[in-house]
Amino acid sequence: MEPITGKALVLACSAIGAGLAMIAGIGPGIGQGFAAGKGAEGVGRQPEVQGDIVRTMLLGAAVAETTGIYGLIIALILLFANPLIGLL
Amino acid sequence: MDPNLDKALVLGFSAIAAGLAMIAGVGPGIGQGFAAGKGAEAVAKNPKSSKNTTMVMLLGAAVAETSGILSLVIALILLYGNPLVTTTGSKLIIMASALGAGFAMIAGLGPGIGQGYAAGKATEAVGKRERHQSAIIRTMFLGQAVAQTTGIYALIIALVLMFANPLIKLL
Repeated sequence: MEPITGKALVLACSAIGAGLAMIAGIGPGIGQGFAAGKGAEGVGRQPEVQGDIVRTMLLGAAVAETTGIYGLIIALILLFANPLIGLL
Repeated sequence: MDPNLDKALVLGFSAIAAGLAMIAGVGPGIGQGFAAGKGAEAVAKNPKSSKNTTMVMLLGAAVAETSGILSLVIALILLYGNPLVTTTGSKLIIMASALGAGFAMIAGLGPGIGQGYAAGKATEAVGKRERHQSAIIRTMFLGQAVAQTTGIYALIIALVLMFANPLIKLL
């Protein structure tokens, strides 16, 4: 095996970090799934206000999405615009 | 051995820690999703109150977002303003401290889920009894403030590990 350089080490750890960051995706998945379920339940109960129900559900689900996007941003930074290499 | 290896290890572990910190995003995701579901349910049960229930849902969800933002801030500090790079002392302790700061921020999971649950239940309550809205919102905020405490403890530990590490002096 070739000797480990500092740069290789930082890059390898960045790969691990990017993967870990994406674990955050669990949350929005669960939460939005619950919202979708309740939305379907609501439309089933009151089909005449379907538009209102779907609007509220989508609004809430959009908020629930944010942390997943944060995780994605950190992962993308680690992969494509890694600020740590410059510090070495 | 690369002479830069010590510094590289600190930077590498900071990258892992940034990823670990972001795991906290699971919490607000679950919590706000629950609130969104309760919002949809409340609108279906009582379409006339949809404006108020949606407002309460968004208010509660905004509070539930805090721990996700705190984690994002710690991750961004680790990437763009990493104080550990210039810290002098045992590199082993410094790299482990970076990792510890990331682990600590996972605690944000709890407040995110809990506050989102509170937001959902408050949304449900406002849908049922609109005239008690202000009392319901007050109670929701009070409970959410208490739920936030453990997330703040974690933030304090992460900041201490990064900016005022007491372990380096002990060696």
